Order: sequence, then structure tokens, then C-alpha cells
Amino acid sequence: MSFAIAPNKKITVYLIGDSTMADKEVNAYPETGWGMPFHYFFDSTVVVDNRAKNGRSTRTFIEEGRWKPVVENLNEGDYVLIQFGHNDEVPTKRSYTTPEQFTANLVKFVSEARNKKAVPVLITPVARRKFDSSGKIEETHAVYTRLVKDVATKYKVPLIDLDAKSQELVKQFGPESSKYLYNYLSPGENPHYPTGRKDDTHFSELGARKMAEIVLHEIKNLNLELANHIRAVPLKEKK
Amino acid sequence: MIKENFKKALFVCLLGLVSFTLPIKKHVTIWMVGDSTMCQYDSSRFPLTGWGMPFAQYFDSSVTIKNEAKGGRSTRTFIAENRWQKVVENLNEGDYVFIQFGHNDEAKNYPDRYTTPEDYRNNLIKFVTESRDKKAIPVLITPVSRRKFDANGNATETHEVYSKIVREVAVQMNVPLIDLDAMSLKLLQQFGEKNSALLFMQLEPGENPNYPSGVHDNTHFNAYGARHIAELVLKGINNLHLELADRIFKK
Repeated sequence: MSFAIAPNKKITVYLIGDSTMADKEVNAYPETGWGMPFHYFFDSTVVVDNRAKNGRSTRTFIEEGRWKPVVENLNEGDYVLIQFGHNDEVPTKRSYTTPEQFTANLVKFVSEARNKKAVPVLITPVARRKFDSSGKIEETHAVYTRLVKDVATKYKVPLIDLDAKSQELVKQFGPESSKYLYNYLSPGENPHYPTGRKDDTHFSELGARKMAEIVLHEIKNLNLELANHIRAVPLKEKK
Repeated sequence: MIKENFKKALFVCLLGLVSFTLPIKKHVTIWMVGDSTMCQYDSSRFPLTGWGMPFAQYFDSSVTIKNEAKGGRSTRTFIAENRWQKVVENLNEGDYVFIQFGHNDEAKNYPDRYTTPEDYRNNLIKFVTESRDKKAIPVLITPVSRRKFDANGNATETHEVYSKIVREVAVQMNVPLIDLDAMSLKLLQQFGEKNSALLFMQLEPGENPNYPSGVHDNTHFNAYGARHIAELVLKGINNLHLELADRIFKK
């Protein structure tokens, strides 16, 4: 009966979140969500299914019926990487979600994923580029990052503190050079942004890849089984 | 008087209508011939990116990009392997041929790639002539700069001889020229010695699963660098006022 065990079943890694994670339309390039380079890091046993969507909070993601099909398709051993906050935390946005509701929605994602024997992973919202006048980096998600951490502790969910890790990276780059990580374009530089762009939230190809690398490292640090499916390329010396 | 104005207005309206109903742009293909700095890469080599990859994302639907560039190829081996023949056979009137070689032609330490300056010149002339025979439009591009800074922090020319040959052929045969070597050298200078590394394949050991032992490459671009180079080529197209400029994505 050994053939009754599904051989080579693929693991699906669902990404649910907002614009900082989402795949982009070509005419938004070079704005890049970190979920895009994240596709390129796994071996053939893993499918990355990026369901993240620009502008969504936990609340609007659920209300628009984006969470339901994820749950319905979840199989045992699949992963759900959850990163929200940017649109939940802004009271003036249509997507605003109260702290209580944000917490409840995260708990919903976690418990429903677990009901399907999938593995939820909570991720704190990736940092915005914000420095104070003395050149010190500022926390931009204090409240909502705290809420993600609290849910992770309370429900023993693997946590990737992307907010803290990405702040470290942005700090390393410094106030000027950190612009390279974000979608900064001068007027006339890029046909998709003829008047230029100074975006301290959304990433360039460089920033998105660096963020994806951070998430990948944390998956290893957490000793998730998923880490065994990271692409293994034989070490070789530079020619 | 009112009648006259009315006539004028009607005429302007009609003109407007005509411009709306002009036949749709004839479809064109941009054939890209060149080396590893331009070519397409499999995702298993990500973040390695040829500038032809992001370049393809900035045109309207009247343009198809055929990126025939191939890593390690010089003008000589590109021809010897029948890669050029395949392009010529498929060229249509009004198509563009973007030609960027040099990195491998000039590499004396790779005899299997090396092309003498004379042969390099002749091969470029061959590309131009045979494109024109098919009523296609050749565009010569000087080889994109390598990252090399002198002790004073100045970005240094890395293709002196071969870029000069491209410029000479362009003048001699009246070919549109994009001096990507000069443009990219300026870009590297803007980024500066340290930050220009962000444009290239520079990864620490363990940073990226596709390059476990890390990589320090001052020739090949990552996705970020490739896009900056593609932006320079697009700027070059605009500066040349090629008809192709009207097919660049407009917001």
C-alpha cells in the first residue's frame, strides 16, 4: 500500500498581504512587491502562490472574498505567510481596521489555516523609509507590529519580525542610500512614472529582493520544514 | 463671421476625428543581438538580469521584443553559430536590430571568443548592411560599462578600443548610435564607487540560495542594475528621435 501515500506532493506557500508583498502589473514596474523575488528561492517541490493585493487590510482582504479561496484550497503541510498592517493601521483609509479587529482577523487566519493542517506564519509589516532629523530611523508600525507579535506569542505561531529586520537593513543603508531600496525615480527616468516618484513604502527590485532574502533567512532560523525546500545549489568557486 | 468660425470649428473637429481613426501602428519587432549583459536568464539564476529583460516591459502592444542575445558570445561566435543568420532570415521591413557586443570580442584571454578589432568592425558592418538589405533599422550600441573605479573614485572606461570602433562604424555608415558605454559610465559615477555595487551581481555568501558561496561580479547586472541600463537605452531611443520612440509606453 506504499503507493497510497501521495508521492511528490507539492507544498503550496500562500502569501497573503498588501502592496509591499504583491505581484505588480507590468505598467507599475519597477515597483516590486517582495513576494515577486520570493518565487525564485525554492526547489521544484514548492509552489509560491502570491495572493497579496495592493491596498488591502486584513478586513478588506476577508470582505472581498480573498481569504476564503485560500482556505478552501489549503492542504496539509501547506504554508500561509501573513503580512498585513500598512492599510489596517491608517484611520483615514477606507481599509482601516481597528486594533481589536486586526487581532481577530489574524487569529482567524491562523486558526482556519490550522484547521486545514496548514502552517501559518505571521510576519510583522515591513518598514517604511522614515528617518528623523538626526538621521535616526523611526518605527512606522509600532501599534500593529505589536499586535502581530502578541498573536504569535499567544497562539504559538512562527513569527518573522520583518518590521525590525527591515529597519535594520534600511538603517544600514542610511538616510540617502536607502532610497535605492524603495521606488525612487527621477522625472523622465522611467516611462511608467513620467513625472518621477518618491515612494517611501513600496520597493524597487533591489529592496524587494533584500526583503525576500530576509524572510527566507528567518524561515531557516525558525527551522520550519519549508527550509528543507529552499533551492540547493552546489557550492562552487567563482570562475 | 459666425458661419466662418463654425466652419473652422467643424474642420478642427474633423481633423480630430481623422487622427482618431488613423490606421493602427504597424507591428514591429525589436531583435536584440548581443551578449550576457543583454540576454534573457532563467529564474534559477535570479537576481542575474540582462538589460534586455526589463527593456521589454516599456513598449506598447505594437512592439514585440525578440531577445536573441546570448551569454559569452562575441560578434564572431554569434555569427559562427548561425545565430545572426536566424535573425536576418526573420527580419521584416521596419523591424529594429539592436546590436551590443564587445565584452567577449575584446577578451584576449578567451581565445574562443576573442575577435580582432578588424573582424569586430567588419562584423558590425555585416550586421548593419544585412539589416538594411531587409529594410530593417539597425541601431548600434556601445558595450555597457564594467564597474571599475580608479584610486580617486572616478569611474573608468573599460571598453576603450571596442567602443570607439562601434562609434566609428555608426558615423561611417550613418547608423543610429546609443553610446551606452558613456551613458552607463556616467550612471556608475552618479552612484559612486560603493553604491554602484548595488547595480551588479554582488551577493554575500549565504545571502541568496541561487548563489550560496556569494558572488562579486562587476560586469553582470542584478534586476535593479539591468533596469537602470534599460532606462538609459530608452533615453537613447528618445534622444535619437527614432520612430520607435512613439511606441514607448506613455502614461
